Amino acid sequence: MSVLQKSLHPDEKYKAGKLGATLQKIGIAIAVVFFAISLLLVVFSNPDVARTAGHVDSSGAGDRWARFFFAYVVGWSYIFSICVGVFWLVLLHHLSRGRWATAVRRIAEAMSMAFPVVFIAGLGFVIPLLFGYQDLYYWAHPDAGMCLEKVATACHEYLNPTLAHKLGWLSPGFFAGRYVVYGLLYTGMASYFTRKSRQQDDSGDPKISDQLRVASGPAMIVYALITCFAAFDILMSMAPKWYSTIYGVNFWGSACVGGFAALGLMVLGVQRSGRLTHSVNAEHYHDIGKWMFAFTFFWAYTAFSQFMLQWYGNLPEETVWYKYRLFGEWQWVSIAMLVGFWAFPFVFLMSRWTKRIVPSLVFFAVWQLVFHWLDLYWNVMPSYDWLPTFHGAARIVSGPLTGNTAYHHVGFTPVDVTVWLALIGVLLAGFGRNLHGNLIPVKDPTLGLSLAHENL
Amino acid sequence: MTDEHTHEPPQASDRTGRLYGVLAEYDTPGDLIEAARKVRDAGYTEFDCYSPFPVHGIDEAMGIKRTILPVLIFGGGVAGTLGGLLLQWWCNAYNWPWNISGKPSWSIPANVPIAFETTILLAVFTSFFGMWILNKLPQVWHPFFRNERFNHVTDDAFVLGIEARDRRFDAAATPKLLADAGAILVEKVYLDPDPASRQMPKWITAFIVASTAFALIPFAIAAKARTSHSSEPHLHIFPDMDFQPKYKSDQAMDLFGDGRENRGELSGTIARGSLNADDTFYHGLDRSDAGTQWTTGFPHQLEINDQLLKRGKNRFEIYCTPCHGHDGRGLGAVPQRVALTGGAWQARNLVDASNPVAINMPNGQLFNTISNGYNTMMGYAAQIPHADRWAIVLYVRALQRSQNASLDDVPPDHRSGMQMPEAPTP
Repeated sequence: MSVLQKSLHPDEKYKAGKLGATLQKIGIAIAVVFFAISLLLVVFSNPDVARTAGHVDSSGAGDRWARFFFAYVVGWSYIFSICVGVFWLVLLHHLSRGRWATAVRRIAEAMSMAFPVVFIAGLGFVIPLLFGYQDLYYWAHPDAGMCLEKVATACHEYLNPTLAHKLGWLSPGFFAGRYVVYGLLYTGMASYFTRKSRQQDDSGDPKISDQLRVASGPAMIVYALITCFAAFDILMSMAPKWYSTIYGVNFWGSACVGGFAALGLMVLGVQRSGRLTHSVNAEHYHDIGKWMFAFTFFWAYTAFSQFMLQWYGNLPEETVWYKYRLFGEWQWVSIAMLVGFWAFPFVFLMSRWTKRIVPSLVFFAVWQLVFHWLDLYWNVMPSYDWLPTFHGAARIVSGPLTGNTAYHHVGFTPVDVTVWLALIGVLLAGFGRNLHGNLIPVKDPTLGLSLAHENL
Repeated sequence: MTDEHTHEPPQASDRTGRLYGVLAEYDTPGDLIEAARKVRDAGYTEFDCYSPFPVHGIDEAMGIKRTILPVLIFGGGVAGTLGGLLLQWWCNAYNWPWNISGKPSWSIPANVPIAFETTILLAVFTSFFGMWILNKLPQVWHPFFRNERFNHVTDDAFVLGIEARDRRFDAAATPKLLADAGAILVEKVYLDPDPASRQMPKWITAFIVASTAFALIPFAIAAKARTSHSSEPHLHIFPDMDFQPKYKSDQAMDLFGDGRENRGELSGTIARGSLNADDTFYHGLDRSDAGTQWTTGFPHQLEINDQLLKRGKNRFEIYCTPCHGHDGRGLGAVPQRVALTGGAWQARNLVDASNPVAINMPNGQLFNTISNGYNTMMGYAAQIPHADRWAIVLYVRALQRSQNASLDDVPPDHRSGMQMPEAPTP
C-alpha cells in the first residue's frame, strides 16, 4: 500500500463505550449546579436601579430577571454558535470532497447533533418572550416604535420610523415561529449527515459518500441563510433600530472560531480517554488550528468591514451601534476584543508550531473560546441599559443605545458567567448524548487518506 | 539486473560529453519517497526529486530542512503594513493634508484597507519571488532536460536525479542503488560536449534588453512632460468623446432665428411652480391703490413663533455670518481675513443704531436684499427658499433689537443684580 493511504491501526480503540454517557453526566451536573447558582444570584439580588428607571411598566421582579435573560441570550448564542461552527466543517468536508478531516468527522458530527438540545435550551428565553416578557428584546416592549418630542409646549408621541416598520418582522409570535424553523432545519440537516455517515459504518457503501456530497451543496445554502437570519433575529435585533447586512457573516466567522476551538479540545479529550490514539495526530490538530487561525482573521476582516463602512459613512442610525461601544466603559471591552480576539492569536497562530504542538493549540483554543464568549457579550450587553426619555411628566422607554454614553456601563455581574457555564453544561450533555458507537467513520472511502494525512 | 534497467543515452555523440548525473523513474509517489529515503541514507546530498504535483512527505524523506521562506514572508508582510501606513501618512497627513468629509487627515481606520492591501502585496511578492530565488529558478536550461523521460515530470513521471558532483557518486554503484530502490527506468545524462550549447542564446539576451528598454519609454515620456511646456494641442485619443455632436447651453446655433441654442421662456407662459403670484411672500411688496411699496410686516402664510426664529438663526449662521458676523456687526470671517491681508473692508453693520441703514429698511426690502443682493453682496435666491429668507429677516430683526437693548427690555423681576456695561471711554 502506498504511503498516501493507511489502514486503521489494529490496536486502535475507536468505540465510544461509556465516553458519551460520562460526558453527558458531567454536562448535566455542570448545568444543574450553575443554573442553581444563577437562580440564587437572581433571587437574592437587588433590583437593578438603572433598569427600574427604564422600565416604568415592569414590576421589581422583572428588573431582577432582565440581566439573567440577557446573560441567557449570550450563553445560548455561545453554545448555538459552537454547533454552527462544527457543523460547517461537516458540510464543507463533503462539499469539497475533503480528506484530512475524515478521522475527526464523526466527532464533529456528534457535536453538531447537539442542535436539538441547544434549541430546546433556547426555549428558556423564547417561551417567556412569547408569553409577554418585554424586558429582553426592546421590540417586544410596548414603547418600541414610539418617540417623544417636545414641540412648543406640547409633548407629542409619534411613531419612530426606523423601528415602526420592523415591528411586523420583530414580533414575538413570528420570532418564535422562525426560531422553531431554524431549530428544525439545523437538526434535520445535522441528523441526516450523521445518520448517513453511521449507515456507511455498517454497509461500507461508497455511494453514501456521493449522496452526502450531493446533499451538502443545497444544505450549505440553507445553512448559510438560516445562520445569517438567526444572527439577525437573536443578536442583531438586540439593537432593533440598527442594521448591518454583514452581521450574520460576522457572527458566523466568530462561530467558526469557537467551533474549531471546541472541536480541537473535544478530539483531544477523546484521545486522552485512550481512544483514537493512533488515528489522530499532529497533522489533524494542525489543520484544526489552521481553520481556527483562518476564522480568527475572517472574523476580524468582517468585523472591521462592518465598522469601517459605518464609521466612514457616518450615518447616525448606523454609527449609534459603535457610539456605545467606542465611548464610555465599553471602549475597553472593544480594545480587549481587538487585541485578544484578533491581534494576539493572529500573530501567534501564524506559525505552524503553535498549531502542531498540542499544549500550545489547547492554550489558543481555550483563549479563543473565552474571547468568542466576550464577542457575543460585546454584541448583546451594550443593549442592556434602556434609558427613559422625559418631557415633563411624559415619559417613554426609549430603548437600547440611547442617552449619554457616560450612563452606559459594562455592569458585569456574576450571573453573566454562571448562566454561560450552565449552558456550556447543556452543550456538553448534548455532545455526550451523541458520542456513541464508532468514533471514526471506519468504512469511509477517504479514511485511509485522512489517516496518512500530512501537511506540506 | 542493472543492465536491464540502464539504458544507453539516446544520442551517441553524448558519450563524448562529461557525465552529469543519473536519473531514475519510479512508478508511484510512494516509491519515490522510499527511494529518496534510501538515497539519503546512503549519504548522498546532491540529489533532487521531480514530480508533477507536491508529494506529501518527500521533504522529510529527502532530509530537507524546513525553508526559511515563511520568515521572509512575515518580514515582507510587516514591511507592507508599515510601508502602507507610511505612504498614507506622507501623502495625506504630511505632504498634502486634505479635508475629506471632516475626517482627521491622519486616521487609522481609513488607512487600514490600504495597509491591508500593501501587506498582502509585499507578503505575496516575497512569497512568489522568494520561492523562485531560493529554488534558484528560473533555470531555462538544465542538463536533465536532455533526457526524454525527464520531460514527463510535469505530466506523469516521478523522477529522482543524482548529480555526478556528489562525492559519493559512482558511475556503477549509483545507478544500481537507484534500480534496487525500485526504479522502472534508470538513465545516465551527459553534458553536451559543445560548451556553447550551455549558454543562453544571444537573441534571448538581446530580446530582454530591448523589451526592458522599450518598457521604459512611457515612463520617460511622462518624466519629460513633467518639466516641459508645449504649445501643441494635446493628443485626442478618443476624438468622438472629446468632440461630441450635441448642443450645450449657451452655444451658438443656426437653427433658430436668434442664433442661440438656448431657448428662453416663451412669452405668456410660466414654468410649473414658478408663478409666485403672492407679492408679499415672494417679493416683499405690498400693492395697494396708493401704490406699491416694501411691506413692513410678514406674509400671512408664516406663523411668527419661536420655531421660525430658530430656523432664521440657523440659516443666518450658515449664509450670513461669513460676512456679517454672528452679531450682525459686519465683522465676519471674510472681513477679518481682509484685515489680515492688509485691506480694509467690512460688510454692512446690520445692527448699528448710529447709522441705521439696515434698521430702517422695511421687512420687504430686507427680504429683497437677501433675494437679489445689494452693492457687492450677491443674491441668495438660488440657495435660500422664500420661507427661509423670511425667517432670516425675522432673526435680523431680533438681532437688531438685542444688540441695542436697554435695561428696560428686561422683565422687571429679572433686573435685580443686572448691570448695563458702561459705555466704553473714547
